[in-house]
Amino acid sequence: MTTALEVRDLRASIGSVEILKGLDLEVGFGELHVIMGPNGSGKSTLCHVLMGKTDYQATGSAVVAGHELMGEDVETRARLGVAAAFQYPTEIPGVTLRELLEELAEQRSDGADIRARIDEAAVRLDATRFLDRPVNEGLSGGEKKRSEIFQLAVLAPRVAVLDEIDSGLDVDAVREVAEAVEVMRGPDVGVLLITHYNRILKYLKPDRVHVMVAGTIVQSGGPELAEELEDSGYADLVAQFGGVAPEAPEGDFLAGL
Amino acid sequence: MKPLTVDSVNAPADAGIPWLAELRRQGLEAFQQLEMPSSVEEEWRYVDLDFDLADLSLADGPGAPMAPGEYAIPSNGHATIVDGTVVDVDSPAEISVMAIGDADPALLADAGGSAIPADLDRFAAAHYGFGGDAIVVHAAKAAVAEAPVFIDVQAVTPGTLSLPRVVLVAETQSELSVVVVYRSPDEGEFHVVPHLQATVGDNARLKVTTVQAWGSATTAIGQQRVVLGRDAHLHHGEAGIGGALGRLHFIVDIDGPGAHSEITGLYFGEDDQVLDYRAFINHRAPHTTSNMFLKGAVEDASHSVFTGLIRIEEVAQRVDAYQTNRNLVLSDDAGAESVPNLEILANDVKCGHASTVGPLDADQRYYLMSRGLDRIHADRLQVRGFFEEAIGRMPHPELAEPIRAAVNDKYVRAQEEGRL
Ligand SMILES: Nc1ncnc2c1ncn2[C@@H]1O[C@H](COP(=O)(O)OP(=O)(O)OP(=O)(O)O)[C@@H](O)[C@H]1O
Ligand SMILES: [Mg+2]
Repeated sequence: MTTALEVRDLRASIGSVEILKGLDLEVGFGELHVIMGPNGSGKSTLCHVLMGKTDYQATGSAVVAGHELMGEDVETRARLGVAAAFQYPTEIPGVTLRELLEELAEQRSDGADIRARIDEAAVRLDATRFLDRPVNEGLSGGEKKRSEIFQLAVLAPRVAVLDEIDSGLDVDAVREVAEAVEVMRGPDVGVLLITHYNRILKYLKPDRVHVMVAGTIVQSGGPELAEELEDSGYADLVAQFGGVAPEAPEGDFLAGL
Repeated sequence: MKPLTVDSVNAPADAGIPWLAELRRQGLEAFQQLEMPSSVEEEWRYVDLDFDLADLSLADGPGAPMAPGEYAIPSNGHATIVDGTVVDVDSPAEISVMAIGDADPALLADAGGSAIPADLDRFAAAHYGFGGDAIVVHAAKAAVAEAPVFIDVQAVTPGTLSLPRVVLVAETQSELSVVVVYRSPDEGEFHVVPHLQATVGDNARLKVTTVQAWGSATTAIGQQRVVLGRDAHLHHGEAGIGGALGRLHFIVDIDGPGAHSEITGLYFGEDDQVLDYRAFINHRAPHTTSNMFLKGAVEDASHSVFTGLIRIEEVAQRVDAYQTNRNLVLSDDAGAESVPNLEILANDVKCGHASTVGPLDADQRYYLMSRGLDRIHADRLQVRGFFEEAIGRMPHPELAEPIRAAVNDKYVRAQEEGRL
């Protein structure tokens, strides 16, 4: 049995600035992993590098269900089963959410399944109200998150990367989104959830919690780690592993090179 | 064919209308004095005029009209003008559609105020000097016509110059809706200097869409002017989707307090097309508002130019005026110029402009591809969305589908033929 997502020595930089500095991660099918970490530590960069955004020079390996992603374009990665809910979803003026998903259904051989999921998920996730509005345009912060989770429910990925899907949501919405994550998670799916908050974890049972600092995973543990971090904060970890300071020690994390 | 000489138009249909007779006289005079514009002039710097009007000839009479095209819509009254001659008129009950020769000059007494000046340039001069026929659409006081009048302006005799004119008059409190489609075959060279003028009276509303669907070897130097009365309302849509050279000089004179001008346009250039828009929005009364929203794309080696001037006269306090021009440059050899200008003489106004020129947005492409679309379809959707913003604001929804199809088909064809 292959793993859902296997990341090895992933590095990414923009210009001469290295953001991901040799990241390793393994998410099994059926598992939910959480990534926490201070602002600017590279969590969203990880999301984009997995999705194939071309702004970054990336090296290393990321394998989804046995398929190497690195070197593939964004669409191929999507076809291989990667989907991301973005922290800052892009507005697409003049294109409604329905048109976008309908276009996808048209392109895909499983278009009928996609259409069925649009109908089902729109109701379940209360997305009908912005289905006929331009993608992300004029949506509130919370509505954008709802739109992202709805789209992921329609895409039905093998690996879902959820970047701060819980930020800016009201209490009820957090629960609904958490439920949507549970619905999405299944024996064939691995979920990577990036968050700053424990509150969504009240509704979810993560298998692992990872702490990302300065472009690498510096600590991993069970669900209790998230609670500890809530109390302790990242100060000690940042002091130990470096945050903003470029000359920060990188410990053993590059040892495998 | 008739050369451009004084006696080539000896009995113009509009001879009974004093202001037109005067413009005709001025036009003939100006034609002798004005030279062909050259691209050293700021006004014409993006346009390469490789002909002289004096070498062109008018058709002896109208050729055979074209079959109804994709922009034919259900209408309430229609008229057709072929090679500069009105050939077909159908007037509805609520308003009058007629050839200018059949119009009572008294009806058109005020229309002279919206005429393009005869000495604007050599094209205007030729238009008045050698043109003659026109379609008149007249809405009497408080007349209301919901469905649009459809005006089909055609050039069909290859190698000719035609000088068609459309005169719109919306009297006080009337509501007039007009669609004007300009077209010519792809085969054969045509030169056209169309005029469109509109007088919108106090409290009157004019909805007008102009579709430039000229054939690919047609040079069209269009001139348009709208004059708005007190609390008058203009909603103008413009689609530039054809022609080798399509230039449109348009003037909106906002003369009545409280009047509003809303202009939405789109254009799509391909091959080595040149599309040159010159807009002059003149606020000449207080409490007037205007908004212009123009979106264009260029591919292959085509070029577009937008020059927009909002001028606010000293008397025009409390004016709110805005201009937006966004351009997509889809091929390396294509280019777009966007030159918005403000000239503000009043001190209590809100006025602004936004203008962009650039390629397709990389973030949008990334987002769409992350949802599983390939690059081709992601870009197609982005282009579609780009124009949709303009199409959604145009005055005649019944034209949305053919306009949408025209611009999107151009892009899809270029993608399929690998021209981007
Ligand atoms: N496109 C970019 N151009 C320049 N710098 C970038 C770019 N993308 C990321 N960075 C930098 O890389 C670092 C990591 O950014 P990233 O967005 O991945 O952080 P994050 O962990 O998601 O932070 P947050 O918790 O605030 O969302 C930051 O210092 C950021 O400024
Ligand atoms: Mg982030």
